[in-house]
Amino acid sequence: MNQTFVFSRWQMLVAGHWAENRKRYLLALLAMGGLLAAWYGFLLTIDKFGPVNLFLQFTAYYCGLYFVGCFYASTIFSELGSKSRAIQYLSVPASHLEKLLCGILFGVVLFFLAYTAVFYLVDIPMVSLGNQVIARQHQHWPGTFEPIGTVQVLNLWNNPWAPIPDRKFHLFLLGYFAVQSAFLLGSVYFARWSFIKTVIGILLFWGGFIMFTDKVVNEHLPAGWHAYDMLRWYDNPDNSSVFRMVQLPDTVERLLVILVQYSIPPAFWVITYFRLKEKEV
Amino acid sequence: MVSIQDFDFSYRRKPIFSGLNLRLDPGHIYGLLGQNGTGKSTLLRSLGGFLFPKRGRIDVLGFEPRRRHPAFLQQVFLLPEEFHLPPISISRWIKHTAGFYPRFSHEQFQRNITGFDVPREGSMQEMSYGQQKKLLISFALAVNAPLLLMDEPTNGLDIFSKSQFRKAIAGSLNEQQCILISTHQVKDLENLIDRILVIEEGRILFNQGMDSISRKLTFTQSFDPEQTAQALYSESTLKGNTLVLPNTEGTDSRPDLEMLYKAVILASEKINRVFKP
Repeated sequence: MNQTFVFSRWQMLVAGHWAENRKRYLLALLAMGGLLAAWYGFLLTIDKFGPVNLFLQFTAYYCGLYFVGCFYASTIFSELGSKSRAIQYLSVPASHLEKLLCGILFGVVLFFLAYTAVFYLVDIPMVSLGNQVIARQHQHWPGTFEPIGTVQVLNLWNNPWAPIPDRKFHLFLLGYFAVQSAFLLGSVYFARWSFIKTVIGILLFWGGFIMFTDKVVNEHLPAGWHAYDMLRWYDNPDNSSVFRMVQLPDTVERLLVILVQYSIPPAFWVITYFRLKEKEV
Repeated sequence: MVSIQDFDFSYRRKPIFSGLNLRLDPGHIYGLLGQNGTGKSTLLRSLGGFLFPKRGRIDVLGFEPRRRHPAFLQQVFLLPEEFHLPPISISRWIKHTAGFYPRFSHEQFQRNITGFDVPREGSMQEMSYGQQKKLLISFALAVNAPLLLMDEPTNGLDIFSKSQFRKAIAGSLNEQQCILISTHQVKDLENLIDRILVIEEGRILFNQGMDSISRKLTFTQSFDPEQTAQALYSESTLKGNTLVLPNTEGTDSRPDLEMLYKAVILASEKINRVFKP
């Protein structure tokens, strides 16, 4: 018998997880949809000119995704926080890899699909309602003859209102999977209060990173040189429009961006696997 | 079946086991006795692969428990003292759990829950602690795992259920199976256990079969001061002195496990001397 991965065994694990949690998951999705509808309803009430515009849809989608997705990920291995539940969870005859993949399937893949589906199930009719409000009541911006136009439904991959890093590299979307994978690790690493402890851990890491770039990297730059972003440095002594810039070769820069975009979640999943394997209760 | 060699275990700075050696064979029901905090649950969890040795080696059915291989987990079942059942019905739970255990017997499970009088309807979380425990015991026995580890299985069971528990265990054990029961309720398991292990301060203080105990010790009550003076261990009660004596006449007396346990803890040298070949 293969001790690492057997598809039928993994299927049983997935079916068992669904059977035990489906009521909770379905209620949570319903609550999420309800909260989003309530928020959009509030926006429609207070703003009759530009309700649920693309920026508001973008903000609603990502705020919900980051908060709910990370919170849910921090509960994926919550069984390990209690001795009685941990023994039962770890004693299920499936491998650690199968247990991790089951967690990733529900916490990463299915949650993302379900969240996005619920978002659009609320978003599309609410945007349509917003457009009806504009068409029926105002049509022009107040005090002008400039038409408001119709509000479009958010396109996650191609949104003109999104901040530059998202438009260019989809960093908000891909960054979500990176941050969420840290919360998944946190759910195995911390026995209690995993969400809060992971938030603190990420903030400490982020603070350390900012300190490092500010105090260590910038301190070592030649006089007059400053960081433009994380991969470029410039020298502009006269504050004029002419300045010198040092940047990494395009291929290296692209490679680094790809690494940041795609390598963080798998790296955290691998660490989670080893933590799960070494878990004692 | 189980071999523990030079086993060391500690919680942070608190040592629990140091150089423990133990062997468990199939076809036996072992009673693991010891005071609170002596490491009974730690030993069970180490055998189940939930705690890892700091030093030494544990071999269970040819597996290293800490690796928690699926093939190992199919053959070793730990019934913990504290447990959690999901908020679903018994039939749904069985449908999604039994498939992991190739030796699981649905018929045996049904027989067990009927014997324990566990209600079949409703969510498992709505059941009382005792009902949940009986359900889990029924499941544990139906798994037919070669090694069954039970931590305080009779805690929370009523008198009828304790009797049913003994019946169910006695009816399920076969020659290939080994059951290790950690308990404080020795009276509950008196006619069930066929070998006694007593742990004290991280070492096995006593390890004998019930046959050998019956042959070498006798348990009696007496007002006779001379007999009391000869006792390996005595305790005065309202009915006279309860005595643990060396069985010099070859009489057959039923071991009183509670007395034996106290005698082993408080007069271990005297007791063990009787068993020396």
